[in-house]
Amino acid sequence: MTTEKRTFNFGSFGSARSVVGSTVHELGQKHDNVWALAADTGGALSAFRKDFPDRFIDVGIAEQNCAGIAAGLALEGNIPFISGMIPFMTMRACEQVRTEICYQDLPVRMIGTGGGLTSGGGSTHNAMEDIAIMKSMVNMTVLSIGDPNMVRDILIQSISYPHPMFIRLAQGKQDRILYEPGTREFQIGKGLVAREGKDATIIAHGEMVFEGLEVAKTLAAESIDVRVVDMYSIDPVDKDLIAKAVKETKNILVWEDHLMEGGLASTVSDFFVDSGVYPKKFKRLGIPQAYAGFGSGPEQRKKYGYDKDAALAVMREMLKSPAPRRVS
Amino acid sequence: MADRKEVTRLEDLAYEMRKKLLNLCGHYEGAVHIGGDLSMTDLLIGLWHHGLNVNPKDLQMPTRDRFILSKGHGAVCMYIAMSLRGFFDYDEILRTYGKLDSKYGMHVCKVYLPGAECSSGSLGQGLAVAVGMAFSARQKKQTHRVFCMMGDGETCEGEIWEAVNTAASYHLGNLVGIVDKNNQLMSSMAGEAMSFEHYSDRWKSFGWNVVDIDGHDMNQIVDALDNLPKYNSNTPTVIVANTIKGKGVSFMEKVIGWHAGSLSKADMDKAIGEVEAAHAKARSGR
Repeated sequence: MTTEKRTFNFGSFGSARSVVGSTVHELGQKHDNVWALAADTGGALSAFRKDFPDRFIDVGIAEQNCAGIAAGLALEGNIPFISGMIPFMTMRACEQVRTEICYQDLPVRMIGTGGGLTSGGGSTHNAMEDIAIMKSMVNMTVLSIGDPNMVRDILIQSISYPHPMFIRLAQGKQDRILYEPGTREFQIGKGLVAREGKDATIIAHGEMVFEGLEVAKTLAAESIDVRVVDMYSIDPVDKDLIAKAVKETKNILVWEDHLMEGGLASTVSDFFVDSGVYPKKFKRLGIPQAYAGFGSGPEQRKKYGYDKDAALAVMREMLKSPAPRRVS
Repeated sequence: MADRKEVTRLEDLAYEMRKKLLNLCGHYEGAVHIGGDLSMTDLLIGLWHHGLNVNPKDLQMPTRDRFILSKGHGAVCMYIAMSLRGFFDYDEILRTYGKLDSKYGMHVCKVYLPGAECSSGSLGQGLAVAVGMAFSARQKKQTHRVFCMMGDGETCEGEIWEAVNTAASYHLGNLVGIVDKNNQLMSSMAGEAMSFEHYSDRWKSFGWNVVDIDGHDMNQIVDALDNLPKYNSNTPTVIVANTIKGKGVSFMEKVIGWHAGSLSKADMDKAIGEVEAAHAKARSGR
């Protein structure tokens, strides 16, 4: 229920999937060209399915077909929302997304759950390459959202956005609420400062924003003042916000639940090189070149060396030692 | 039975179109997908000049039938069929085909070419897009049909059968598939590598209405298009058109090397000569 009044409780859990379900339903009520599509993954869309059965399509386990049908709908002036699991919508249907949706620049919205190593399903179900793949596609907008309430704002904005969009959610069921509804503005192409700080900046997206805020809290007790940027818009990325962080805090850590290569860290370092705006120090934390096994998100982050302890160590090290000399 | 005068008119157009295709193939520096163009020439004439409700003066006419060329490498064949209907200018196609910034590329590009419903070129993808369009038409209570032309080779792709299953499951009676069944892929004859046996039965078993025709017999093409189930029927239809790759040119017919190629002046003249002779023979009443 979107109108329900809730007490804001930072760090409590919400379900991004439920928010997707209620928001797409709400949009379906307002706009008769909104469709919902699923490849046997339409649980979250049950309200939409019930009220608008002639605009709901479950294609069974057939993601390529799902992407193609969405393109056909969009060519006829509709706005299809596809809900599914990230690896299959971005990799099984990779070429259909690229050639049918992006090449023709169609307003299809792909909403995927299980970002990073949160799915618990092992490497078949992990989503560690999705941002690299999706941001390489021309015309595609790539967002990664942790706070479930934020999903609603973005989906509502998406109605008037004329390009394809990939929205990466974290686990989708147990997601941390970070922002008091109505207090922040979320805009495609922008990031936001989730916490101010002047000694260093953690740039994160999705689930790692909460972790970043936890790290900042711990370091505050050591008199280290860390800024946390929620870079939910990865492509297009908020370059001004990166530049501001470099200028004002000098030290940058990009921390993400994605391969360290190809994700937000790569976007940010591309920006450094292209703009000549260099930080004093730059570190990245994320998934190494490995196919991860099973376990919860936090367990895997520990195993693969990008959990909270790893981030604390990186930050302490970064702020302790002098900057390395740049070899010219 | 198809109207005789109409069939004659369409046959004459197909004859013109073969000559124009061969002429382009003889003038373009690169390779043209001439084999598969010639196998679907009669079908495209039947569609663009008889079966499809389209208006060259109003590309966005809401009631128009939608046509997706899933076998996108046959783009030039569609351009020429459409040019004969007044959509495009043949001389412009001949002059610019495949060149920098041309609207008329090797594969259909909607971004460059107004009038194309959907970009294509990567095989096996057109039918799913057509399914999406058919869903939309039905939901909006529109009365047009969505047509999708496929090559038989591209029906090796799994996505085709995903779309076939979806169309039947959701009873999309406004969807019409056409398979240019020329029994050849780029590098093998049907049956050499992949089997195409019981081909029509495959579609039938999914619940499609299947119409088997000779894809070079304009009577049968017109009959099939005139007798499609109503747009609001419960069953999608596929026209399985048995064709010959390279149809009309003796040295191209059923020859693997002519999937794509270019023609020397001498070969172009020979090919056009054969097409003219066949047409003259048909028209002399023999």
